[in-house]
Amino acid sequence: MFNHFTQDARWVAHDGPQIARELGDSSVEAEHLLVAIARRDDAAARVLHAAGLDEDAIVAALVAETERSLAAVGVSADSLTFSPFVETPRFGRSAKWALELALRIALERGDRRIGTGHVLLAILRAERGTVPRTLAIAGVDREALATEIRSSVVGRP
Amino acid sequence: MIDLSSPEDPADGLAAVVALRRLAERLEAAEVERAMRAGWSWPEVAEALGVTRQAVHKKHAKRLIAAGVELRRR
Repeated sequence: MFNHFTQDARWVAHDGPQIARELGDSSVEAEHLLVAIARRDDAAARVLHAAGLDEDAIVAALVAETERSLAAVGVSADSLTFSPFVETPRFGRSAKWALELALRIALERGDRRIGTGHVLLAILRAERGTVPRTLAIAGVDREALATEIRSSVVGRP
Repeated sequence: MIDLSSPEDPADGLAAVVALRRLAERLEAAEVERAMRAGWSWPEVAEALGVTRQAVHKKHAKRLIAAGVELRRR
């Protein structure tokens, strides 16, 4: 599936499982791909950084989203310490969906390569779930971010 | 402190389900490790969790061995 991915996009697919494991998660989800994009230094990453979303800021917003969601049902939890899992986490539904959608977005646009911008657009397409809630907590306008990516990253003059 | 009240917005309730699943996974990782460090055996941990010995071993053994936890065989 990664044949038409740019080198940066391949790194995102590579780093996603690593980031999931670092965060103690047992499956790779769209939010881990988002962190992986922020870890790069390409045009898509720079749009994220300009919106205040560097790697640390996204992770902080993810933690805040979890705390807020737990608080909504009256649960609070201190951060748990445990030795990390050694197996590589598998791709979960939201991450698979984002990579497949990135491919479709590139096809629809007639782009030959799938870059981090396409993956980011796919991640931003989700209206429900962890990523949009996390972006809202970070004070980021999801639609505006997608527009910026379309015009300055994957857009062709 | 769990009050099991439902949030007004279903989006918040569903997000809580996602967060609780992740929390349960982490809590299991932390507590299985604590028990094994305290000298519990795999069958004891499995019985306490209500799962098979194979299941708990498969899920946690590699991680605990990599972390240098001394494990009881029985």
